[in-house]
Amino acid sequence: MNPAARLLALTTATAALMVMAISFGPTDLLDFASLWKLTTQGAINPDLERAALVLGELRLPRVLLAAAAGASLALGGLLLQAVFRNPLAEPYLLGLSSGGALGAVTALAAGATSVIWPALAGSLIVSALVLLLCRRRMASDLPSLLLAGVALGALAQSFTTALILRFDPGALRSILFWLMGSFAGRGWPEVSLLLPVAVIGLIIVWILHRPLDLIALGGESAHHLGVRVNALQIGSITLAATLAALTVATCGTIGFIGLMAPHLARHVVGSTHGNLVPASVLMGMILAVGSDLAARTILSGTELPVGVITGAIGCVFFLALLTKKS
Amino acid sequence: MNTPILQVRNLRSGYHGCEVLDNISFDLHPGEVLGVVGPNGSGKSTLLKTLTALLPLLGGSVHIGGQDLNKLGARERARLCAVQPQVEAPALDFTVREFVLLGRHPHRSLLGLAAPADHHSTIEAMEWCDLQPLAARSIRSLSTGEWQRTLLARALAQNTPLLLLDEPAAHLDPGHRYDTHLLLQKLAQKKNRAVLCISHDLNLAAEFCDRLMLLGRGGLRSLGTPPEVLQEKLLQEVFACSALRVTTNPHTGHPGVVFAR
Repeated sequence: MNPAARLLALTTATAALMVMAISFGPTDLLDFASLWKLTTQGAINPDLERAALVLGELRLPRVLLAAAAGASLALGGLLLQAVFRNPLAEPYLLGLSSGGALGAVTALAAGATSVIWPALAGSLIVSALVLLLCRRRMASDLPSLLLAGVALGALAQSFTTALILRFDPGALRSILFWLMGSFAGRGWPEVSLLLPVAVIGLIIVWILHRPLDLIALGGESAHHLGVRVNALQIGSITLAATLAALTVATCGTIGFIGLMAPHLARHVVGSTHGNLVPASVLMGMILAVGSDLAARTILSGTELPVGVITGAIGCVFFLALLTKKS
Repeated sequence: MNTPILQVRNLRSGYHGCEVLDNISFDLHPGEVLGVVGPNGSGKSTLLKTLTALLPLLGGSVHIGGQDLNKLGARERARLCAVQPQVEAPALDFTVREFVLLGRHPHRSLLGLAAPADHHSTIEAMEWCDLQPLAARSIRSLSTGEWQRTLLARALAQNTPLLLLDEPAAHLDPGHRYDTHLLLQKLAQKKNRAVLCISHDLNLAAEFCDRLMLLGRGGLRSLGTPPEVLQEKLLQEVFACSALRVTTNPHTGHPGVVFAR
């Protein structure tokens, strides 16, 4: 199968999974038959009116948010893996998750009801500090970035833990869900923030697919072939940080997708970024929407944080990778 | 004589305040092959990095195609000058054809598909480097020699008037080493390309280069035709090797180097 056919198959699988995610849930109002009726005939009876409400206010924004989060994390991972020439690079290396958590928990401690903007500020401040610390050695120096990310992330985490101790046990559960990542209770405001940025990110990254091919093969070679290497590195890191920071701010910390999606996509369409960019985005969407579907259906009557599912998949994925290599 | 494609005047260069090259001046004309030889650490790669704007000029000037290197945009520079870097392991899994096609990047728009001219240059470069049978192979599965020929093919696909090559035959077997030097000479003579080629093989450099530049500690030691540069006393001193002897190749009449023990 050629890469175009594989991309088409991946797109079909993503669309099918999204329809499945919309139709599965605690209420059976939105089975495939009702969904079909609703889209072809509209809300013609009270049952379908209720179904329309569940679809419009709960399921659709949730699935779209999961898809946008998966796409954003996958794009972030792909960008960092290309500019650092390292398949283990991912957006959370930049200290984003800990910064976002600190911002959100600080806002909650101060009595705020919405944590999106404080979380975004926290993520961006920590990642800006990480980049500032490494600015002189940014060119392909992943270990420096990793050290700075781990150090500042640990500092942010200890502040977060100190703040969490101030909360009553009832509030702790919602904080835990936020720290582990969740799409529950999110609606159109989050979607309208993350989805356009994910789409713009996808367009920018796809336009840059050939320079990314070149830089992934080596900074010096890319320079000789007319790529402005420093500008591309700084731009890519900034875009990856922004996408991941917005994801953390809207959905909490969802691990491993940024790392796994580009890996899996390479197995499907190969290494050239012209195919790899859309394939990684689709793979990120599949992982996020699929994990969310599993998180809300795997245990009846209760919902797991989506980070629990992605963490488990991540573990299996990397153990499989290890077994294959050895 | 025609206008030089590369003009270097009083070049000074080095790393972190430590000067490696000082007062280097030379011209390179279309149709000419210039070999750069010298011991390890004499500044051959530093010269190449400076000529390609990877290292800043500490002094002097470099003009490519009559334009100041410092004022050339990245893509403009890549349309004038192609570089074959030293061998580094391929990080991603491209086919040989995909990889060589990347050499066309400076000539293509960001979103445009490869034009017939791009495919033509790619195929031509692969033919020159004897890579057609490997076109569909993954670059990760290549031997070091095959990978080195693939790197050269990418530089040739760039189709630039100036080629800067860092030991293009270092990992090749004798047959391919000879073919590569012959190819560079043909490119210069028939396609009017200017070639600057770093080499550790003094014999092949003497056979195929029009001029040689000998670098030693302290910078430029000699610049001229192979018989002018390959002087026994000078080579023994620069390479710190008293066993080195200069002879004449009985088949071509060109100077060469052997070791007396």
